[in-house]
Amino acid sequence: MGTASSASQLDSDRGGKLDAIYSGIAAYYSAKAEKFGPTPLGVDWTCQATQEMRFVQLLKLCDFTSAFSLNDLGCGYGALVSYLDRRHPDPPIDYLGIDVSANMVRQAKQLWGGRPAVAFVHGHIIPRTADYALASGIFNVELDQPREEWEKFIRESLDNLYETSLRGFAVNFMKRLAGTSGRKGLYYAEPADWAHYCANRFGAATEVREDYGMRESTLIVRIFGQKAKSSSK
Amino acid sequence: MGSLVGDDDLYIGSFLELFNLRFGIEQKDVEFAFGGITEMTFLQKEFQIFQVGRPFVHSAKLLGLGGLQNNRAKNRWFKLLTWLQTIPSDNAGETGDQRIVNALIANFGPGGATLPCFMRAHDSRDPKGYGLKVVVLVGDTPIFYIKQPYLTISLPMAPSVPP
Repeated sequence: MGTASSASQLDSDRGGKLDAIYSGIAAYYSAKAEKFGPTPLGVDWTCQATQEMRFVQLLKLCDFTSAFSLNDLGCGYGALVSYLDRRHPDPPIDYLGIDVSANMVRQAKQLWGGRPAVAFVHGHIIPRTADYALASGIFNVELDQPREEWEKFIRESLDNLYETSLRGFAVNFMKRLAGTSGRKGLYYAEPADWAHYCANRFGAATEVREDYGMRESTLIVRIFGQKAKSSSK
Repeated sequence: MGSLVGDDDLYIGSFLELFNLRFGIEQKDVEFAFGGITEMTFLQKEFQIFQVGRPFVHSAKLLGLGGLQNNRAKNRWFKLLTWLQTIPSDNAGETGDQRIVNALIANFGPGGATLPCFMRAHDSRDPKGYGLKVVVLVGDTPIFYIKQPYLTISLPMAPSVPP
């Protein structure tokens, strides 16, 4: 495991005002986990196939030619571990899942506990630095939070992902169908806006992927320069 | 459907509808198409969900085609889909299950028409109908108020069917 690394190098929006958001997310997903157990439905995806299509897109971030460490923010019950086993048995990946739902983390530990190089922690702050980080679906369910607060939560999460990633991170967003208002309680984004945010704030290279047949987009943020170099030591 | 689905027969319509939404015509905007048959095409290309030798029911489970809320009905629906391996189809040499899988592979594969797919039932007791077999029609228009051609899969059903 890496070092606890939450010390911000950036002007962050953090001010402890997002507690209601984190507790709302935790309650929502804990209830899902309680109802559906460690399944795609338990993390609010329609099925294993679409859940794993998201992994395919997010993992385009990673260079699989050599071992790396990976943080999985909003890991749920650790479905990514199973996917990596099947599709990327090599190279070795040092995996840490982080989830704000205690129920989810408990289920993840039951499934994967005791496995080398796989660990889970409960919370919303990524507690170590890794080569890469992913976050699948964590920005979608805003429930009844004010939009301004939800976007503050997104900025804080992106900052946290940047601070704790040496080579890059990837997230996804739902995309609203043109001419519709979307479903209440869900957050839809113009991915270009968040790509612009990441490029400006982190000086990173961004890539938006939308060509995988789903009503959403994947934002890949690649980090270059001194920070990335330190990962190859 | 007798002992296959029992008193959950009422939900068969909802399972057919779920299939028809997941495999149906997607909504489109000016930039790109997504959902429905487009989503399914990408999923098939990435994961080869429909494969020769893999029963249709396994693929249905991967795609969550058993619904969300009713585990008993879902399990019985999957029992019905498993039963398709034991009945014939309109293609000699293919079971009902193989007929569906092979038709979907051809539909999504290279050179395939990539038609939206529609699943429905026919009365297997009807002497003038298809009988006790799975029937697949390519380029059919099963929804009379939609011009779009489909790949239609018709499952034989009756109040009681042989095990």
